[in-house]
Amino acid sequence: MSSRLRRHFLPWDRPWLPQAAAWLAGDWAGGEALDLSDVLAIVPTRQAARRLREALAGYAAERGSAVFPPQTLTPDMLLRGAEDDPAVASQLEALLAWTDVLQRIDLEEVAAVFPVAPPQRDFAWAWRLAGAFDRLQIQLNEAGLSIADVVTRLGADFPERDRWLGLAQLESLQVSALAARGRREPHAARRAFALRPTLPPGVRRVALLAAPDPMALALRVLETWAESVSVDVVVFAPPEEAENFDEVGRPIASHWGARPIVLAEFKRRVRLCADPAEEAARVVAIARGYREPDGLVAVGAAEADALPWFESEFSRADLPAYNPEGRTRRGGRVHTLLAALAALARDPAIAAVAAVARCPDFLAHLELRDGVSPAAFLTQLDEACGRHLPADLGALQAALGPSAPELAGGVALAEELRGALTAEPFPRCATAALGRLFQGRRFDLAVSSDAVMAAAAEAWRDTLHECASLAARFPQIAAADWWEIALQRFGETRETGEKPAGALDLQGWLELLWEDAPHLVVAGLNDGAVPEAIVGDAFLPESLREQLGLKTNAVRFARDAYLLHAIAASRVAGGRLDVLFAKVSAAGDPLRPSRLLLQCVDAELPERIDFLFRAPAPVQAQPPWTRAWQLRPPRPEPIASVAVTGLRSWLECPFRFWLRHGLKMESVEPEKRELDARDFGTLCHAALEAMAIEAALRDCTDEVQLREFLIGELTSVARRRFGSTLTLPVIVQLESARQRLARVAAVQARERAAGWVVEQVEWPFSLEIGGLTVRGKIDRIDRHEGTGARRVLDYKTSDTAKAPAATHLRTARAEEAALPGWRRVLGGKKEQVWTDLQLPVYLRAVMGAFPGEPAPACGYVNLPKAAGETSLAAWPELTGELLDAAQACTDGVAAAVRAGEFWPPAEIKADADDFAALFHRGAAESIAWGAEP
Amino acid sequence: MNLPHVMIRASAGSGKTYALTNRFVALLASGAAPERIVALTFTRKAAGEFFDEILRKLAKAARDGREAAKLAREIERPELREADFLRLLRGVTAAMPRLRLGTLDAFFARIARAFPLELGLGGEFEVLQAHAAHVERQRVLGRMFAQADGGLGEAQREFIEAFKRATFGTEEKRLAARLDRFLDEHHEAFLAAPDGACWGHPARIWPEGSEWLAPSARKISDVIASLRRELAEAAGNEKQTARWEALFAAVAEWRPGAPLPRAITYMLEHALEVWPQLGREIAEVIVERKKMALTPAAGADLAVLVRHVFAGVLTAHLESTRGIHAVLRGYEGFYDEAVRRAGRLTFGDVQRLLQPDAGGPQLGGGRMMIDFRLDGQFDHWLLDEFQDTSFGQWSVLENLIDEAVQDPAGARSFFCVGDVKQAIYAWRDGDRHLFDAVLDRYNAPAPGTVVEEHLVKSWRSAPPIISMVNAVFGAGEVISTLFPGAASADWNRDWRTHESAHPALTGHAAWLQADDEEGRFALTARLIGEIAPLRRGLGCAVLTQSNKAATALADFLRRTAGIPAIAESDLHVATDNPLGMALLALARAAAHPGDSLARRHVEMTPLRGMLEAEGWGTPGQITRGFLGQIHDSGFERTMEYWLRRAETALPPEDRFSRERGRQFVAAAALFDATGSREVAEFVAFMERHAVRETEVAGVVRVMTIHRAKGLGFDVVVLPDLEGQSIDQARDGLAVTRDAGRAVQWVLDAPPKFFREHDATLRGQLRSAEASACHEALCLLYVAMTRAKRAMYLITGAPGTSTSRNYPRLLAATLGADSVTANSGAIAAAGGAALGDAHWHAEIAETAESGAGEEQRPTGDERLLRRAPRRRVLRPSGDYTRTVDAFAVFSADRSGAVEFGREVHALLAEVEWGREFNAARWRARGFAPAVVEEAVACLLAPQLARVWAAVPGAEVWRERAFEVVLDGAWVTGVFDRVLVERTGDGRVRRATVYDFKTERFPSGADAARHVAQHAGQLQLYRRAVAALTGAQLQAVAAEIVFTGLRQISSITPS
Ligand code: SF4
Repeated sequence: MSSRLRRHFLPWDRPWLPQAAAWLAGDWAGGEALDLSDVLAIVPTRQAARRLREALAGYAAERGSAVFPPQTLTPDMLLRGAEDDPAVASQLEALLAWTDVLQRIDLEEVAAVFPVAPPQRDFAWAWRLAGAFDRLQIQLNEAGLSIADVVTRLGADFPERDRWLGLAQLESLQVSALAARGRREPHAARRAFALRPTLPPGVRRVALLAAPDPMALALRVLETWAESVSVDVVVFAPPEEAENFDEVGRPIASHWGARPIVLAEFKRRVRLCADPAEEAARVVAIARGYREPDGLVAVGAAEADALPWFESEFSRADLPAYNPEGRTRRGGRVHTLLAALAALARDPAIAAVAAVARCPDFLAHLELRDGVSPAAFLTQLDEACGRHLPADLGALQAALGPSAPELAGGVALAEELRGALTAEPFPRCATAALGRLFQGRRFDLAVSSDAVMAAAAEAWRDTLHECASLAARFPQIAAADWWEIALQRFGETRETGEKPAGALDLQGWLELLWEDAPHLVVAGLNDGAVPEAIVGDAFLPESLREQLGLKTNAVRFARDAYLLHAIAASRVAGGRLDVLFAKVSAAGDPLRPSRLLLQCVDAELPERIDFLFRAPAPVQAQPPWTRAWQLRPPRPEPIASVAVTGLRSWLECPFRFWLRHGLKMESVEPEKRELDARDFGTLCHAALEAMAIEAALRDCTDEVQLREFLIGELTSVARRRFGSTLTLPVIVQLESARQRLARVAAVQARERAAGWVVEQVEWPFSLEIGGLTVRGKIDRIDRHEGTGARRVLDYKTSDTAKAPAATHLRTARAEEAALPGWRRVLGGKKEQVWTDLQLPVYLRAVMGAFPGEPAPACGYVNLPKAAGETSLAAWPELTGELLDAAQACTDGVAAAVRAGEFWPPAEIKADADDFAALFHRGAAESIAWGAEP
Repeated sequence: MNLPHVMIRASAGSGKTYALTNRFVALLASGAAPERIVALTFTRKAAGEFFDEILRKLAKAARDGREAAKLAREIERPELREADFLRLLRGVTAAMPRLRLGTLDAFFARIARAFPLELGLGGEFEVLQAHAAHVERQRVLGRMFAQADGGLGEAQREFIEAFKRATFGTEEKRLAARLDRFLDEHHEAFLAAPDGACWGHPARIWPEGSEWLAPSARKISDVIASLRRELAEAAGNEKQTARWEALFAAVAEWRPGAPLPRAITYMLEHALEVWPQLGREIAEVIVERKKMALTPAAGADLAVLVRHVFAGVLTAHLESTRGIHAVLRGYEGFYDEAVRRAGRLTFGDVQRLLQPDAGGPQLGGGRMMIDFRLDGQFDHWLLDEFQDTSFGQWSVLENLIDEAVQDPAGARSFFCVGDVKQAIYAWRDGDRHLFDAVLDRYNAPAPGTVVEEHLVKSWRSAPPIISMVNAVFGAGEVISTLFPGAASADWNRDWRTHESAHPALTGHAAWLQADDEEGRFALTARLIGEIAPLRRGLGCAVLTQSNKAATALADFLRRTAGIPAIAESDLHVATDNPLGMALLALARAAAHPGDSLARRHVEMTPLRGMLEAEGWGTPGQITRGFLGQIHDSGFERTMEYWLRRAETALPPEDRFSRERGRQFVAAAALFDATGSREVAEFVAFMERHAVRETEVAGVVRVMTIHRAKGLGFDVVVLPDLEGQSIDQARDGLAVTRDAGRAVQWVLDAPPKFFREHDATLRGQLRSAEASACHEALCLLYVAMTRAKRAMYLITGAPGTSTSRNYPRLLAATLGADSVTANSGAIAAAGGAALGDAHWHAEIAETAESGAGEEQRPTGDERLLRRAPRRRVLRPSGDYTRTVDAFAVFSADRSGAVEFGREVHALLAEVEWGREFNAARWRARGFAPAVVEEAVACLLAPQLARVWAAVPGAEVWRERAFEVVLDGAWVTGVFDRVLVERTGDGRVRRATVYDFKTERFPSGADAARHVAQHAGQLQLYRRAVAALTGAQLQAVAAEIVFTGLRQISSITPS
C-alpha cells in the first residue's frame, strides 16, 4: 500500500482518549475556539465519536475555551457518499429487488444454487433469502467484491464454481431488476464511489483514529483522498511497536497471533464464573465497591447480546447504568400495537382481536372517546369469548347481546380499526388506523414513557415513509407483506434515550479502546465472542474468505489480541482490568475461555489451562423452601342461599366452598377454544328439555322421531349460541352431543313404551333448610301411567356412566373417623361418607311438593362417551335409613354454611383443584384463617 | 501413524471418559489435526467436560515428566516427552473454534446451517426451544380450528372424520385436549413412519391373514339363539345360566370401541382355555368354577361369538390406528406449512432433514461438499454413549463413518464407546442393538476391521459394591428363569464379571428392608444421619425412579431430619411458591379483569396494600396501570418493580423467597426476548419455565437414576426401587420394525388379553416386554454402580408377591432369607450386607470450613484518577412540552419535523442577503411550501437585519460546537451566528439567530414561545462567548419565527 498515509503512534502506557484529543488539538493552546471543523475524524464506532467530542470539549474547557468539533464518521460511513446520488437504491430497495428476482426466476436455471426445490416460494421465503444474499454482498463488498468478481477470482477447478456462477447470475438479475426501475444497485455504487470518492465539503485534514479494523473498501477511499489532503493514521501503541502494524494501523496477524498478552495479576483478575448471571452479579459487586463509580469504573461486554442482561442487573442493584447501544423497538409499546394491528388487518381472528384489545392505547382510546371502562370491556370480552367461542371479529359481533354495552363499544372500535386497515392500501391504511386511535391524544415529552413513544412514532413514520416511496416500484408486494417488512424494520430501530446522570456506560468490546475509566471490567470473555470466529458458512467458509482476501478468523484474532493487550497496557501504571468469563451460557451451552487468555509463553500454558479450565466452584445451596406469606382471605360471612351443587362443594371442601360461593372466585380461561364440560352439559340439557316440553312428543315411542327432534333442537340451540360459523372443535363436540342424544332417544322411546310419562321439566324448587335457602332445578320428573309412581331424573353428560350411589357416597378414609356423625353412614361393612346430596335434596323437594304421596324413585340418565353405556341408572336403595341419613347430612351442611364454618380445607391434588394457585405445600398451611385481612 | 478402529464396551465406572480422552490425545500424537477429529456426545455438559478433560490431561503431561511418561505409555507412544505434550496442547487450544466436539444435535445443526438450500430449507433456520415449540403448536391448532369464510375446508373435513375414527366408538367431547395428548404421545411415531400404509392395515400386520378377522356369515342374534338352545342340553346350574345370559345380553348390546363388560371377558377367557377343542369335540369349559361340557355345535357357536368380539376389538383398533394417523397427518400438514417451512425447526426436525431414510441426502461422497463448507475433512470419529445413539442418528453418520473405516490409506479412524448395560434411553430412541449391528457391518465383510475391547475394572466402586453388582447381575440362571426370553439372553451374553480397581478400599453394600414408603424414607434419613457424609466431606446421593419421588424425598429429609437435601429435578421457580403465584395472579387480573380468582388472590396477599398505595385500587386501575407498564417496559421490568414492593412484606430472613423472586424476574427477561407482550402467553411461559439446579456444594443430592447416569458419589442410597413387573410393556402404539429399522406396522394396541391370543401381536408384545425388561435391568445396573464407598438398597420385603420387580430380583440373587443387616449403628431387617458396615468410622468429621466469599478488592488507591464524565445538555432539545400524538405518527411528508428540517437547510445555504436561487431549490426537489417559507423569510423586511451583510464580519451557519458550561457538556448546532471583530481580530460583538419553524396561530402566542426557548438561547450565548472569547454581554440572541416572519430578542439574563 502506498505510504501517502502518515502514521502516528500514541503510547499505550496511559489511556488513549485524552491523548487523542491532545493530538487533534496539536499546538492549539487556548484562546479562541479550537476549530477542528475542517478535520474529518474516522473512528471505529459511533460511541467513540461521542467520546471524542466530549474529550475535546473537556480539553478546550481546561484551556478556557470551546470547540468546533471535527466531523466524525465510522469507516463504513465513508462510503455513504455513494448515496448522494439519488438514483442509488436504498438497502431496503435492494432487498426488495432480490425478492422480486427470487419469486420470478425459473429455479431450474440456477439449479446449482437451489438443488432442491424450496418449500414454498412465497414472499416470506424470498424475503428471508434476500436477507442472506444481501449479507453475502455486504461481506464481499468489504473487500470491494461483487459475486461475479468471486467467480473470476476463483479458478475453473474451484469446487463450488457452478454454484457461484448461479449466484452471479442471480446477482445480475437483481442489478437488472433495480435498473429496470431506474435504480442503481447500492453495493456496486459503493464500489464505484470508492474508486472516485468525493471529500465531504470543508474537509482539509483526515485522521483515522485508533481503528484497528476498518473495512478494506474504506481504506481505498482514504488512499484516494490522501492524494489531495493529508491523511493521518493514529495508532494506539508506542512508536517502538511500529513494525507490528501495517500502513493503515492494522495489527499484523502473524505478530499478534503469536504474541503473549500481558495481564497483570492474572489469577486475581481473571475470573471464572458459572454462568452469565454470576458474571453480572460480580460486575455489579465491583461497581458497588465505589461510591460514585461513573468515571472510575467502566463495564464492557464481549458480546453485545449480554448488555441488556447487565442493564437489568444494574437496575436491580439500583445503580444507574446506560447502554449506548440502546434496545431495539421490537416488543416495545408501539411495536406491539402495530404488530397487533397488522395481525388484525391480515386476519380478524379472535386471538388478534384479543391482542389489540389489550393494547393500552386501544383501551385509552375507548376510555377517552367512548367513556368505556377498560376493565368492564375486557371482562365482557372474556365472557363473550368463553360463552360464544367466536372464531373471529365477525362472529363476536354477531354474538353481541344487549347486556354488554362496553363490549359493543370495544367491538365497534375494533371493527372501525379493521375497516381503516383494509379500506386503503398500505401504508395509508396504517396511518389511518393510527389516526383513529390517537385522535386527540397528546404526548407529553416531559414524561419519559411519552417521550419514548414519540420517538418511536417518529421512527415508525420514517419507516412508513420509506415503504411508501418504494411501494410504487414494487406493486406486486401485498399489503400483508408490506406490514411484515415495515414491522421488521421498525423493530430493528433502536431506542437509546438520554444517559442518566452518573450512569455507568455499558459498552461493547470494540468500544473499550476508547474507554478511559481507570478500572475496566470486561465480562463474557469467552471464545467465539472474543475473538469472534466464524465456522461453517453457507456461502463463505474460511478457506474461501482467505482466498478472496476477506476478513478471516486470524485477522479477527489479531485485532482482538491487540485490543486486549492495549486496554491492559493502558491500565498498568494506574488502573485495573478485570476479565470475567462464564463456564456455561445463559441457554446452558458449555463455554470456553477466550483463546486470548491463553496467549502466554509456553512454560505458563499448562498452569493457565488448569486455572482456566477448572470446574467453577460449586454454588451455595439454595435456601430451603420457606413460605413468603400466608394468604389472608376476608373474614367469613354466613351465606344465606346456595344452589344444590353447593352442598357437594361444601362436602368436598368447606374452604373452597367459601371461595367459590362466598367470594365468588372464578377463573377465566383466556384461550378457550372449545366447550367445557359445563357448556356441553348445558347444550344437551337444552335439547332434552325441549323434547320433554314438546307436547307432540309426550307419548312418542318412536326412536327415530325423538332422535330427529333432539338433534334438530341441539342444532338450533347451538346456532343461537355460536352463530353459523363454528370452529372445528365445536363441530366435533356437537357431533359428540348428537351421538349421545341419539342414544338417549332410544332410551326415551323404551321408557315411554314402559309407561313412563314426563310430568315436569326443569322443575324449579327452593327449600328452607335450617335457615339456608337451597335452590335447584330438577331436570325432569316422570310419572308412571300405570302405577302413578314418580321418579326424579337428572341428566349426566360426563364421559363415563355414573351410578348415583357412587357419586353420593364413598368409603371413608381413616382420618375421617373424626368427622361429625351426620357426614358418615355405616352402610354394610365399611363406613362411608357423603360426597353429594343432590338426589336426596331432590326427593326432599318433590316430597314436599306432593305431600302424602309415596316417595318417588330417583336416578341418573347417563349420556357417556362410549356407545352402549347410555342408560338409566336408578338408585333404588335411597330410601328409609339411607334417605334419613342423607337428610341429616343436608341439615348438617346447611347449618354449617349458615354458621360460616368453612374451615379446615381439604387437601386435594393440584391437578384436580380449581384453586391450586392459592396453595403451596398444604392448603391449610397456605391460609391465615380468621386473621384480619 | 495409523490407529485401529475400536469399539469399547465399558462397564460402569471403568473409565470411559479416560479412554475417550486418551484416544483423542493418541490421535493428536499421531499427527491428526484437532479439527479433523469429530467427537460427539449426548449432552452439552458431557461435551464441555470432555474438552476440559483433554486439556487438563495434556497440561498435566506437559508439566510433569512422570505424568508425561504415564500418558505416553498409555497411548503407546513411549517416546513422547513433556515438550511433545505441550506442543499438542498448543495445537488443540489454537484450534479451539474449529473443533468438532459437541453434541450430535449441534453437529447436525451445524451441517444443516451450512447447507440450507441443499436441504430444501428456505435459507437460515431457527432451532425451536420448548416454549417456542409450545407456542407454535397452539398457533397451528388455532389455525386448524378456525373456519374460513367459505365454511370448512377439505382438509378440515377430513380432519374431523379422522378424529372420529381415531376415537372410534367413543364420542370425545374435548377435541383440543385429546389432540394435545395425541400429539404428545404419537407425534414422534408419526414422524418415524409418515407413510399411512404402516398404520393399522391388516395386510401389513397379518400378511398371511388373521384367524380373528375372518368374517362369519351368521347373524349374531341367530348364533345366540342357537347357542341358547344347545346349552339347554348342557343343563348348567342357575349361576351358570345367569353367566351365559349375561354374555348374550352383553354381546348383543356391545359395540366395538366401547369397553368390554366383564360379562364378555369372563366367558372369553374361559372359552379360550379350551379353544382347540371348541367346535371339534366335546369341550369342557369352566363356568362359575364348574365344568360344562359343550357339544361341538355349541362349541362352534361359542367360537363364533368369541371371533365376533375379537374381530370387533381388532377392527376398532385398526380403525382407530388409521384415524390417529390421519389426525397426525392433518396436523402435520398445517404444522409443516406454518412452522417448518418458515424456518423454525426442532432438533428432531434437523436430524430428519439429514436422515437418508427420511429423504435426506447421503452425506459424504461429494454431493454436499461438507469438507469445503465446514472448513476441513472429518478424518476421525469418536462417539460416546454409543448405546444411546438412535438408528436415525446413525443413519446420518453412517456414510461418513464408512468412508473413514474404509479409507484405503488407513489414515482415518473410528472409535466408539458405550455400555449396553446402561441403555436407559430407549424411550428416546436410543438403540442398544446398534452396537452389534455396527460391529457386524464392518467386521462381517472383513473380520477384525473394528477391534472390540471390554473394560470391566471399576475405578469408581469399592470391592463390596462390585461384589453385590456381580451377585445380582452376574446371576445368569436366576435372571433367565425370572425373565425368560430375549432380554435375559442378551443380558447374560453381554455380562462380564466386574472387578474393583481398588481392592483394598473399604466400603459397604447393603440391602435393607422397610415396611412401607414412610419406612423406607425414614430409614434413608437414619442412614444419612448416622453416616454424616457431609461432615466427613463425602458426596452423597439418593436416587429415585421418578422426579416426583425425588422431590418428595428431599422434602422428607429436610423436614423430618433437617438434612440439607436438594431435589435435582426441574424446579418450577415461578409457581412453586406463593410470591411467584401472586405476581402471576396480578398479571392475570390485569389482563382479565373478570378473573375474580386472580383478583381475589392478589387481594389476599400483601400486594393489595401496595397496589392501593400505587393508586391501583380498582380492577380498572390495575388493568390500565399494569398493561401500560408491560407495554412500556416489558415483563421483566414490570415484574421487578412489583417484586421490589412485594419483598418489603417478606420476613427479613426469608432468603428463599427472595431467591425465587430473582429467578422469577430472570425468567421474565427470557420471555421478553420472545418479543411477546401477551399476558396469557407470559403466564403459560412462566408456568412451564423450569430451572435445572446447578451442582450445589454441601448437600445431599436427590435425583432420578436417569439423571445420575455418568456420575459417581461416595454414598448412594436407593430407597425407591418398588414398582411393577420390570418386563411390563408400555401401553399405546405397538410398533414393529424390520431388520433395517424401518417401521413395518403400527397398531393402537388392544388390551393385553387380545394381544396374547394372536401370534403376530404376541410376538410384538414379547419383544416390547423384552425391551422393557432389558431397560429395567439397565436402570438397576446404573443405580447400583454409582457408589464409590457405600451403597444402601432399601426396599419393602419381597414377600410373596409374584410381581417380578426389583425387590424380587434382589431376593432371588442376594438370598431370600431375611437377616438383620447392620449398617453402622443402625440395625434393620435386610437381605444382605457386604463389606464393612463401619466403613465411615475411619473418615474423620471435619469442622465446617468457613470458606466464605472471596473478599473483593474495592477502591484501589491507584484508581482514584477519575476519568472526566459530564452531564450532557442538548440545547436544541425539544422544549415543546406536548405534541399531537397523531401528527407524530403521520407519514405525511409535510409533517412539521420534516418541514422544519428543510427550511433550516435552505436558510443555512444563504450567507448574506439575496444570495439564493429559489428556482434551483425547487429543482432540487424541495417542497414548494418549504421554498416559499424560506424565500419569504429572506425577503421579509422585518427580518432584513438577519441577512444584512456586515463588512468584515463572519457568519457561522449550521455550525456544530462542543463546550463545557458549569461542568456540563453542552453539544449543539447554531443555526446562524454573526461575529463582528475589532481591528485586532478580537470579537467585538456576536449575535445568535435561532430559527423556529413551529406554527402557532397568533403573534400573541409568540411571547409564550419566546419564554419557552429563552433558556436554550442563553446557553447559545454562553457557548458563543466561550468559543470566541468575547464578553457575555457582547453576545446577543434572537429568535426568528419563520412562519410569522417575526424576530424577538432575548434579554440577557
Ligand atoms: S349473552 Fe354473550 S354477549 Fe351477552 S352478556 Fe352473555 S356472554 Fe356477553
